[in-house]
Amino acid sequence: MDKDAYTVALKNTLTEVRKICPDINYSFIFTKDGPVVVADEHSANIPVRKTVDSFQSLMEKATTIGGLHNMIVKGSKGNVHISSVNGMYLVIATSENANMTYIHSIANVIVPTILKLLKSIVPTPPTPPKTAHSQQLTVENISGFFLGDTVQVDKEILSQWSKDFKGKGVNEVEVEAFGGKVVQCKVKAISESRYEGKGLIRVPEKVARDLGVAEGELVRIKPVKS
Amino acid sequence: MREKSTSHEAVESLRLDLDKIKREEGIIGYILRSAKSASIDIKDPSKIIDYATLSSTALKSGENISEVFGLGDVSSVVVEGNEAKVLAMSVGGFRVSIFMRRDVDHNRFYEDLHLE
Repeated sequence: MDKDAYTVALKNTLTEVRKICPDINYSFIFTKDGPVVVADEHSANIPVRKTVDSFQSLMEKATTIGGLHNMIVKGSKGNVHISSVNGMYLVIATSENANMTYIHSIANVIVPTILKLLKSIVPTPPTPPKTAHSQQLTVENISGFFLGDTVQVDKEILSQWSKDFKGKGVNEVEVEAFGGKVVQCKVKAISESRYEGKGLIRVPEKVARDLGVAEGELVRIKPVKS
Repeated sequence: MREKSTSHEAVESLRLDLDKIKREEGIIGYILRSAKSASIDIKDPSKIIDYATLSSTALKSGENISEVFGLGDVSSVVVEGNEAKVLAMSVGGFRVSIFMRRDVDHNRFYEDLHLE
């Protein structure tokens, strides 16, 4: 069976599932990397890109809870169920009255079984590369004329990232505040020894303003690969 | 949906409910956010920012997905990982996220917080 046949088989599966469960409005499958593998006949015209983008940012944050297995969004007019299935994600949008236990069975039993069967015939899409670990640090304000937008962190963190990137130094980081604001800025090692080894990130006032954070608050940083 | 005379009373009442929930087995903690403040009670303080960003991203993703599929007002978002899950929702204008072990029944807390 070639890849086209794989797609046709999956598309037929989703279409048939929709026939036996009329509460399903849309269903499609996308990979972790983003591309939509297959959609049922009725889902061809919906803007899936936004769903995938939203889900991908959530995927990154969900490492805290051991990855992303299921997501259920309940609304006043309907529900969306997204499940991890054999390395891909199945999206099922239903009306508000749909039997969610039934939907759960489709998402977690029927479709995975079919995918498993197909997987034995056609290889699944590749998984995305692993990224370096992020760090949770406490904000310490720093002021001065020549600071620019450069934050300072412990040199051990920079060394670890450098190891993660096979010796390539990290010059920029993404700083994320509690409220979800994200700023990308330059990074260097803490210059004053009294601030070292305390889990601090020294942040220039302008960057702190952009992030909406004050001294003592927690932020998360991760390296930006140059 | 809750109706309280003042915003402060509403926050306090909700926090009491969440403190009760937090004592139950399998609960990792909660985040309660209003426009002006946030209460956080997470068992592992080193993960506060991770849970906070997961919570806000879950709600934002929920809203985006709702917009795409025409789900109307989002009443709850559940994100399940292999080890734990989060129930994120709006209660009386406040954003509540409850983190728990994956095997805990989150529907109970959703109903409790919305029916009181």
